[in-house]
Order: sequence, then C-alpha cells, then structure tokens
Amino acid sequence: MKKTALIIDDERLARNELKKLLQDFPEIEIIGEAMNAGEAKTLISELRPDLIFLDIQMPEKTGFELLEELDRVPFVIFTTAHDEFALKAFEVNAMDYLLKPIDPQRLTDAIQKLSLVDEKETVGIDGKNELRTSLSESDQVFVKDGEKCWFVKLAEIRLFESVGNYARVFFGQNRPLILKSLNSLEERLDQKIFFRANRKHIVNLRMIEKVEPFFNGGLLLEIKGGEKIEVSRRQAVRFKEMMSL
Amino acid sequence: MKLNFKHIPKYWLFQLLGWGFFIAINTFFAATFNQIDNLYIGRLTTFVGVGFLMSHIMRLLIKKVSLLSRPLNTQIFGFILISLVIAIIVGATETYLTILFGLEYKEEIKLGISQQIIGNSFYSFIYLFIWNCIYFIFHYVSESRKQQVDTLKLETLVKSLELKTIKAHINPHFIFNAMNSIRALIDENPERARHAITALSNILRSSMLTDQQETISLEKEMKIVQDYLALEQIRFEDRLSVIYDIDDETLDNPVPPMMLQMLVENAIKHGISKSVNGGEIKISSSESEGLFQLVVQNTGNLDKKINHEGFGLQSTENRLSLLFGTAAKFSISEKENSIVEARVIIPLN
Repeated sequence: MKKTALIIDDERLARNELKKLLQDFPEIEIIGEAMNAGEAKTLISELRPDLIFLDIQMPEKTGFELLEELDRVPFVIFTTAHDEFALKAFEVNAMDYLLKPIDPQRLTDAIQKLSLVDEKETVGIDGKNELRTSLSESDQVFVKDGEKCWFVKLAEIRLFESVGNYARVFFGQNRPLILKSLNSLEERLDQKIFFRANRKHIVNLRMIEKVEPFFNGGLLLEIKGGEKIEVSRRQAVRFKEMMSL
Repeated sequence: MKLNFKHIPKYWLFQLLGWGFFIAINTFFAATFNQIDNLYIGRLTTFVGVGFLMSHIMRLLIKKVSLLSRPLNTQIFGFILISLVIAIIVGATETYLTILFGLEYKEEIKLGISQQIIGNSFYSFIYLFIWNCIYFIFHYVSESRKQQVDTLKLETLVKSLELKTIKAHINPHFIFNAMNSIRALIDENPERARHAITALSNILRSSMLTDQQETISLEKEMKIVQDYLALEQIRFEDRLSVIYDIDDETLDNPVPPMMLQMLVENAIKHGISKSVNGGEIKISSSESEGLFQLVVQNTGNLDKKINHEGFGLQSTENRLSLLFGTAAKFSISEKENSIVEARVIIPLN
C-alpha cells in the first residue's frame, strides 16, 4: 500500500537530499514539503499524510511543539543532525529517527518497520482516506509531559480528567497533562467511544469494567485502571440510551 | 675557613643553635652572679649532654609514630605526652649522673633522691616542651607554605585545563548539518560542494591545532570564521547575510582561538536559526585609545535566560580575564531595532 508523506525541514538542501533518498522507495509518495511548523500544520490538516519526516530544530517552533499542536498525529520519523538525546524521552519503538546525513540503510529499516506496524494496525479499520472531523480510535496523539513524550493511540486512553485549563490523560501507567480543555477534546473525540460522564471526566466506553447505580439517579463507572467515575443524572440517561442500543 | 650553613641539615642547625643558646643564657646568668666554677661547668655539661642526646631520641620517636601527619588535637596531646615521658627519663638520668660524679648542690643533698628526680624532671619538661613547640611550629609553617604552593600549582593546572576544554568546543550539530548540506550539493552544484569540503576541513583542522596555543592572530581567527559562515550560508541560503567590517590594523592582534568563532556560532544559533526569514550578521573590529574592540551583531532578540544558562558566555569572560587580565571586557546586549550585540574589549599590551 502506497503511503503519503510530508517532509518538514527548514533547510532546502536537507529536504532535497531526503527526497532524493526516497526516490528508491516507490511505496512512499511525497505529497508536500514544509519549511517551518506553521506551514507544516496547514499542510498536515489539508493533505492528511500517513507519514511525516520531521526535523527537530526549526525556526520559531521545534518539531515537538508542532506535534503538540496537532489533533491527529501521523506516523512520525524524526530527522536530526545531533539531537538524538532529545529522542531518548520516547518509549522504545514509539517512533523512529534518522540522523543526518541519513544512512540509506537506516532509511530502509525505518520504512520497513513502518509497513510492519501498518499491517498490524490497519486491519479492520476502515475509512482511512475518508474525510473525518472527529478522531477515531486508531488515530494517535502526541503527549509531552516535561521530559517524557508519548505517541498514544486513542484506543489506549481510558480517561480524560479536567485539571484547570489542562486535561490529564490516563493510559497504561501514565497520566500526563496536556494543554487542552475538556470541552475542546469532547468536540474532537468520537462520541460513540468517548463519553462525557460529568463536568470533569470523559471516559472511553470500551474501558468500562463495571456499572453500578449511584445516588440521585446517577451511575458509578469502574474503569480498567481501577478509577471510579461518577455519571451525573442527566448524563446517566444518555449513557443508558447509548448502551441499550 | 668559611662554614657553609646551607649544607647542614636544618634540624642539626636548629639543634646546635638551640642548645648553644641554652648554654649562652645559663652562662650569662652564672657569670652575672659570679657562679662559674668547676661544679657549674660539670653540671651544665651533664645537662646539655643528656638534653641534646635525649631530644634527638625524642625526634626519632616523633618520626617513628609519624606524629606530624596526625590530626591537630592528637599532635598537641602527643607532643605534651612525649615531652613528659622524655622529661622524666632526662630528670632521672641527670639525677643519677650528678650523684655519680658528685655534682650535687648542697641544698640538693638535703632532699631525697625522688625529690631530686622530680625537680630535674620539672625543669627538663620546660626545656623539652619549648623544644617541641619550636619543632612543631617549624613543621607547621613549612607544611602550610607547601600547601600554598600546591594550591597555586593546582590553580594553574585548572586554568590551563579550562582553556583547553573551551578551545576543543566545536558544535557537532554544525558539523553534521554541514555534511548533510554538502551531500545535497554534490549533485546540485559540485563546484560549491568542493569549496564547502575545503572550508569544513579548514575548520576541523584549526579546531584541532589551536589546542596547543593560548592566542592566535585575528587574521587566522577570521579565516575560520569566514569558512564557518560560508558553510552556514550554504545551509541557510538566502536566510543568512553577512557583513564584515574589519580594520586591517587589527589583523595582527592576538585573540583567544575559537572565541570569535563561538560568538558567531551563538549569533547563528540564537539569532538567525530562530527566525523563519533569517537575518544578518555583522562582524567588526577596531582600535582606539589603546583598546581593541571586536563586535558581533545579529538580528534577533536577546533571550533573558541566556545569562544563567550560557556556558559559552560565562567561559568567554573567564577566558579573557585569564589571558588579558581584568581590563579585558565582554558584554552582550540588545540594541534598538532588534539587534543583539556581543562586544569584546581587549587592552593593547
């Protein structure tokens, strides 16, 4: 399956060099180039590439800052001259990186790894090219909390909790904060999977283990990680409607 | 015949002078009171003989237990204890010898032997304690002087090491980005690629060679800077423009190697590479009123945090004062119209 890719680097020669190297990979189709984070953001939302080659050091905004602003993050291969230490923040296998000047063998490995990941993940998930406004389960987001970074599939997130202007994201053993309000998240998330339980919480319906009646006509949800979330009376009605279908 | 005191070990010199002084003082008072007779000479010879011998044995003992390298409290306690023990031995020996040779004073004979021993030990203790005080102070002073010299030596070593690490500092980020640009240029503009490789080689070579030198001429430093900027211009293309305003008179002036280069590198890193549209770098040098000025200006804004985190800036200041004294100055400031200026002032001679 052919993949669409975007090259993001502030240096023309660096972009040219990568394009030249990618000529040997017919499975990768370069659909655009950006020379800074601003341009990249526009192009990503317009062209929806499967993959981005992303330089870390760029004027005004770094590659990381760009990722934090994206609602939906494509697969990322970082390209950098000497910032591999910055990438140590990632969990192993969460992404790949290439050191400039790029070794063609390393590029081959990265692209092979990408197609392996893809075979596993895309089975049974439709509508990749369909234009969607909401995020689906298979979409990933970029989460950065201090020194640590993650690419998280929405399906792995069990809970969003509102903390002032921030939202705490619960997945696996981690619960980092992201600078997004719960309301804006609710708008972007797939309503069939993510349910607004109360003013402070959005839960992933597939992660619910137990449902118990609660005071005042409300409900108490127990989620896989052990968190207990109260559903307000008004939302409990909606919850019952959704689950009875 | 001339005696050369320098060949006598300090210990023996002190020992002879000390006991000589003891003899002189005693004789002076004895003479004043008209008491110099055979009895007096006999007693003095016994006392000095025993004292000289026993103080030497005491020194061997101090060395044997390496008292001087112990903590100060132990040393003080040790010196008092040793003085006491040796004093008793000296007191006993002297009493025995005075009785043996019949050198006792009439008053002494009236006292018992044990009281004679106590009396002699008491006087010996005072002499031996003074002996030990001199011994201790002499070693204490020479030790602290040695420490001062050691500290000075260490400081110079640290300074030269500091200079070396600063000099060896060349940004790997720059090298790999330059390599990457050159690789792309090989197809696009082979002639430019060849020049770029020459420039990169020059930079690498000078960064290795300057390790041995403390200063180089501005002319040599400018060659590195020009090569460096030529490479960065390949990378940033029309985003970087460079202006040189170098006074020919200043080309022979000594500068710390790689310092101007580092200031230019910072100008690129914090000024040009942060802006989407790039900017301009201006390097100027001038001489006036016995001061040599080097100025690097770049478009951009000064990061307020820079004073705290900038290893490069802090080390620039240190380097200048190590090489040219405190009259050499370094400053960085933001001018009007978003221009950041780094200024180095070096006094001539």
